[in-house]
Amino acid sequence: MHEYALFLGCIAPNRYPGCEASAIKTSEKVGIKLLPLEGASCCPAPGAFGSIDMTVWYAMAARNLVLAEQMKKDIALVCNGCYKSIWEVNHILKHDEELRNKVNEVLKEIDMEYKGTIDVFHLAELYYDPKICGIQKIRDSVTTPMTGTKVACHYGCHLMKPQKDRHFGDTENPMWFEELVAAVGAEPVQYRNKMQCCGAGGGVRGYDIVHALDITNEKLINISEVGADAITELCPFCQLQFDRGQIEIKEKFGDVYNIPVLHFNELLGLAQGMSPQDLALDLHAIDCAPFLEKVL
Amino acid sequence: MAAKSYDNPELNKKLADTRYHNSQSNPEFTKDVLKTSRTIANMCYQCGTCTGSCPSAPRSTYRIRLFMRRNVLGLENEALMDPDLWLCTTCYSCTDRCPRDIAPTDVIMAMRNLAFKKDIVPRNFLQTVQLIYNSGHGVPNNDVNRAARKRLGLTADPPTTHMYPEYIKGIQKILDHYGLKENADRILKGD
Repeated sequence: MHEYALFLGCIAPNRYPGCEASAIKTSEKVGIKLLPLEGASCCPAPGAFGSIDMTVWYAMAARNLVLAEQMKKDIALVCNGCYKSIWEVNHILKHDEELRNKVNEVLKEIDMEYKGTIDVFHLAELYYDPKICGIQKIRDSVTTPMTGTKVACHYGCHLMKPQKDRHFGDTENPMWFEELVAAVGAEPVQYRNKMQCCGAGGGVRGYDIVHALDITNEKLINISEVGADAITELCPFCQLQFDRGQIEIKEKFGDVYNIPVLHFNELLGLAQGMSPQDLALDLHAIDCAPFLEKVL
Repeated sequence: MAAKSYDNPELNKKLADTRYHNSQSNPEFTKDVLKTSRTIANMCYQCGTCTGSCPSAPRSTYRIRLFMRRNVLGLENEALMDPDLWLCTTCYSCTDRCPRDIAPTDVIMAMRNLAFKKDIVPRNFLQTVQLIYNSGHGVPNNDVNRAARKRLGLTADPPTTHMYPEYIKGIQKILDHYGLKENADRILKGD
């Protein structure tokens, strides 16, 4: 069993708890144990918070990292935004002694010290990594294959971009997420401008919702064009933007899509036999029933 | 930034090209952006790959290339007062495609940081600071979600600062160290 501290962030536990529940349950079936990271806070949000003061962003993310260092566990997380904050601050502080000293001066006030002793992973990359889990193990864990469904993969931005320093490779047309989706029995479909942003990031959803939704709308047009039965993503904030965004798009632009939006953890949960109730799919703004009818 | 002065007045006149040197230029701005962004923003040669990659550009007047130029020219006020500064979704497409290996996204982030120092910042950013100060979360829990969590066999509040509020004090100390909450409150009140 590989053990990790589960960094929850905000939107997964506080808006889509099925995402948290499925992370814990699906990972156990493939040999990954997620332990609670007690006292963790917001990562803090790289766009909304980092835009105001990067210096404070470093210190706040470092506090979360120290909690995991004290547990002597690497961090696993389920949100691209959290990945940007937690992974990137860890990476920068490990390589920049001057900044590390500055951050530690502040952390000293709360009896903490960042040492740089742990690593940070997105749960999806652990699922993909054959040394930890790998595609075959995911395939073997499936009891209810999502056969006969077309699923559009949304990678999101902050997991793989900026490519420099990260280890995911090509960010123009990656295919590893599609491999994961194929492993649960669904057919991953390709669509125009797959790597485009959902529109929510950088504080834009809060600053100019119509602008953010217009970007989302473009993605939804491209996704509906290829007849996808559902969208799957790796980031609860993208999930919120696609899910609640479809309701907002209907109100503001009059465009209707009704495409269910599932975090990959939730999709894997369904494939491993979790019920829609186990995943609190009723909290999703867009009804998942049309997708569920095809697979359950 | 004044142009270098020569003895020949005719030459001086020719060199004082306002497109490159005008009274609005502040060379310190370029240095501040370099320091905060941690990217070689001054190396931009204006190819426009960034704007071409930008999901915000087709639906607004936001042009990342323009901000890159404003940085090189030190046009501080023009950059920081422009409301388009806040339309970047930080998707990093421009950063991955920049042929000069610059991170234009981080230039925008640096400019936003510098704008905040001048009290120029949209409300929603400040509200996030207040929420984190009070609860540790930018998006806090609510009653509907608590009930749903219990149905899933999870604890009503996640094992974060929500379940362990004793950790909030440390967060407040960090934010207070930088006076961030104080500034957010002050700017929001003044609106």
